Amino acid sequence: MLDRIGAGDRDALKMLYEATSAKLFGVILRIVIERGEAEDVLQEVYITVWRKAAEFDATRASPITWMVTIARNRAIDRLRAKGSRPTTTLDEAAEIRDAAPAADTLIDSANDAKRVQAALGMLDPKHAAIIRCAYFEGLTYEALSDREGVPVGTLKSWVRRGLMRMRTVLAA
Amino acid sequence: MTEIGDPSEGSDAALALDFALGTLDGAAMRAGEQRLRRDPAFSRDVAHWQDQLSPLTNEVVGIAPPRYVWEAVDRELFRAAPVRAVAPADSIWSRLAVWRGLAFAASGVAAVSLALLVSRPGPAPVAVPPAVPTGSLLAASISSTDRAKAVLITATYDPSRGAVILTPAAADASRGLTPELWLIVGTNPPKSLGVIDLKDPQAHRIPGSLRAQMTGGVTLAISLEPAGGSPTGSPTGPVVAAGKLTAI
Repeated sequence: MLDRIGAGDRDALKMLYEATSAKLFGVILRIVIERGEAEDVLQEVYITVWRKAAEFDATRASPITWMVTIARNRAIDRLRAKGSRPTTTLDEAAEIRDAAPAADTLIDSANDAKRVQAALGMLDPKHAAIIRCAYFEGLTYEALSDREGVPVGTLKSWVRRGLMRMRTVLAA
Repeated sequence: MTEIGDPSEGSDAALALDFALGTLDGAAMRAGEQRLRRDPAFSRDVAHWQDQLSPLTNEVVGIAPPRYVWEAVDRELFRAAPVRAVAPADSIWSRLAVWRGLAFAASGVAAVSLALLVSRPGPAPVAVPPAVPTGSLLAASISSTDRAKAVLITATYDPSRGAVILTPAAADASRGLTPELWLIVGTNPPKSLGVIDLKDPQAHRIPGSLRAQMTGGVTLAISLEPAGGSPTGSPTGPVVAAGKLTAI
């Protein structure tokens, strides 16, 4: 009987893993690049999810947003602990858009994904690129500023204007 | 959502945005984490921006991780020493929110997850998974591949540390080249475990992705490579020693 309870929790985690691990692995790989490291981070993420599941507040965030946040934070921690990594420049990031949006039913609806794509498309390309760079590379404003030769204040205002505009577009 | 503040420079709303985006430096990030716990308004703003940003991940193509990542999670949480594997009894219920939320989000598994949740009995006494003897040591005598078959180095793999303890047993035979350790599973191509030292005993960390493959019967081999190790990812120099890993 006790074994079955233990096994039940394990099954639940396994199901969660099967439903979400490809998405999270993709997110982590975008940030840490190196596959072995990304595998380590992914492992840490599910261990964290398991241990912190009690802190999850369903009224505040969707489960997948919560998990993506954990994955990003872990990946960024790993990246910063390691120092630098090969990075895409801002100009390249403006080009980067993965060929096909992930065919996955987990996050919101396909409709939402399209709306976000469209909203990003309406931003000043520089603003959209810096948001992508910051989000996917885990770089601080200082690091982005060094790399792009753009003052920190300017970067901050790009990000803010970009996100505010995105919010307006999405709310419309 | 409308009450989320205008993130003008220096405002709390701006800090929440930067925190959610991940652009703060280490110290500011940790301060933000502290604040998240005690400042509901801040934590609401952060959640708002996280939500706003998270659809960006829709641009990311999902990539299936290799099987052994799940195996490692499973081992860490459910098959390690009981003291770590056991969840506090009441947290089983507090965890339900996550599973339930996901069940609704992931239509494909919803029915199954709910069935699981419904069938689960109430808060239970501490559930001790059956003790599975993992963590047992594996060892290999890595002997020279020439006719003498002299033991060059012994390798003891400790799964709980994810490291192999290398103890040289003969004079350094690296001849000024860099020895590199390889893992060979069956007839698969060798996978690098990194460069090693043939002079001094050392604990050598096994890459996380390869730990699951460190099992009895696999072969550890040493090749001599240029400084920094093999440039190609496969052995380029002579394989000077090899030995099978067995449980001890």
